[in-house]
Amino acid sequence: MPTETAKKNNYAQLILPACIGIALVYLVVMATSAIFPFILSAALAYILSPIIKYLEVRGIKRAYAVAGLYLGIGLLLFVVVYLLFHFLSFELESLQQSWPEYAGRMQQFVLNLNTKIVHNYPFLASLKVEQNLQRFLEAAPQFILGLIPALTLLFIVPFITFFMLVGGAGIIDYLIDHLPSRHAELILHIASRIDGSLGNYLRGIVTEAFVIFLIAFTGLIYMSLDYAAVIAILIGVSSLVPYLGAIIGAVLSSIVAYLQFGTFLPILKIMFFFAGIRFFDDWFLQPYIMKKAVKLNPAIILLALMAGGEIGGIWGVIFSIPVTCIIKEILQIAVELQETEFRWKPKPEPTRISIPYT
Amino acid sequence: MKFLTLFSRLYDEEILAKLTFLQSIRLFEGINKRQLIHVLESLQERTYLKGETIFTQGDIGRALFIVFSGKIALARVDKITQKTETIAEVHPAEFFGEMALLEEMPRTATAYALEDTKVFMLFKIKLDALLFARPRIGVTIAAQLAKILSARLRAILEQPAEQS
Repeated sequence: MPTETAKKNNYAQLILPACIGIALVYLVVMATSAIFPFILSAALAYILSPIIKYLEVRGIKRAYAVAGLYLGIGLLLFVVVYLLFHFLSFELESLQQSWPEYAGRMQQFVLNLNTKIVHNYPFLASLKVEQNLQRFLEAAPQFILGLIPALTLLFIVPFITFFMLVGGAGIIDYLIDHLPSRHAELILHIASRIDGSLGNYLRGIVTEAFVIFLIAFTGLIYMSLDYAAVIAILIGVSSLVPYLGAIIGAVLSSIVAYLQFGTFLPILKIMFFFAGIRFFDDWFLQPYIMKKAVKLNPAIILLALMAGGEIGGIWGVIFSIPVTCIIKEILQIAVELQETEFRWKPKPEPTRISIPYT
Repeated sequence: MKFLTLFSRLYDEEILAKLTFLQSIRLFEGINKRQLIHVLESLQERTYLKGETIFTQGDIGRALFIVFSGKIALARVDKITQKTETIAEVHPAEFFGEMALLEEMPRTATAYALEDTKVFMLFKIKLDALLFARPRIGVTIAAQLAKILSARLRAILEQPAEQS
């Protein structure tokens, strides 16, 4: 029989892992901003890993599979960027030129509305809409400029992800081989459960965001709305957060449509269009793409988004749903383990059949 | 010639060896090499060192184990005498713990490595996913599983008759 070291109840063996754990937590707390690109890269590597595994089991060596994937994505991005560049550069340039005019018109619209409202309800004058709007319009370009440093992540993250994809499998195999052998089956079972639901969620939401981007882009171009590419990209990115994509799309497009056409009919069209996207997403896209992912109640999603926003700002919002998926799966597994491993409930009864084998 | 060299640099021979190995497993009989790729995708590899316990009698089973290389011993503790008896040795291309694929029930024996052993694990959750995503493969495995269990049951029933 094997030597059963676990029976010694030797807690000294836990000291080293505990120290490493504490050191890691300390490192994360002290160097959050430095570690942040690595967390993003790990998430990206996790999302891409099934493609690498797909190529690997078909006999392509890992390094070549990763290189091939990067070349493929690079080529695709090049084509997409090339196609979008024309729209984007033109649109950004025209936005820069027309911003003062648009800002003036928006200010005028809100001021007229404010005068009417204050005239009817004088107590609303205390809201000081005029000053607040002025401050917002002055701060808007500054806010957009403030987002530029985040763009450096676009270059750092794929770089780190490449090395994680090439070398990461070796580290994971090493860790799997060095799990306590007696519990390896259980640990790997838990890991595959979490991987199943979280992986499907992440891959599903990326696919969903891309499909919504394509629909929004085509629809807005068809409606000949200005800045269709910019708005579609914003809708695509914000679709990574549940419910946000269609809301942002509807609001932004309505503002642009009002400034561009000056009438309410295009706004109505846009509202119908985005309501259509929302229903299409809920009734067709999500049931098909997310059928194998964790099912979360909309109330839980809302709570997770708000809590994520409070804890970690915009990135907290983006990461809140995957983290909630992990928590939900862990809770489910914990309850199941209570029933099976810890005998919280009576032992499961095997299936019994009275008729003998014939 | 250059193309062949390039192909051999790109192609991982190990995968071919693993697929050929999986073809020799009874559980996967009737599944062609192309379909076996999907089975390989669902398997988890792990190496157990000599003397390491894989699972203990009474643990809840969640995976089937296929021995790729090395040797595993299966031992059972007799409930009455409390004596441990080795009931079988599992060699490469053989598998054990298949009951876990049907129901999450306690293991009926303890498994430990007699030498450094590489195994493939097929978790119930992965088989379930395979059954839904690729029913043709899943049904073949389920049918083979039923045949194997029936054969084991028949062997148990025929044992006393042979002894007497």
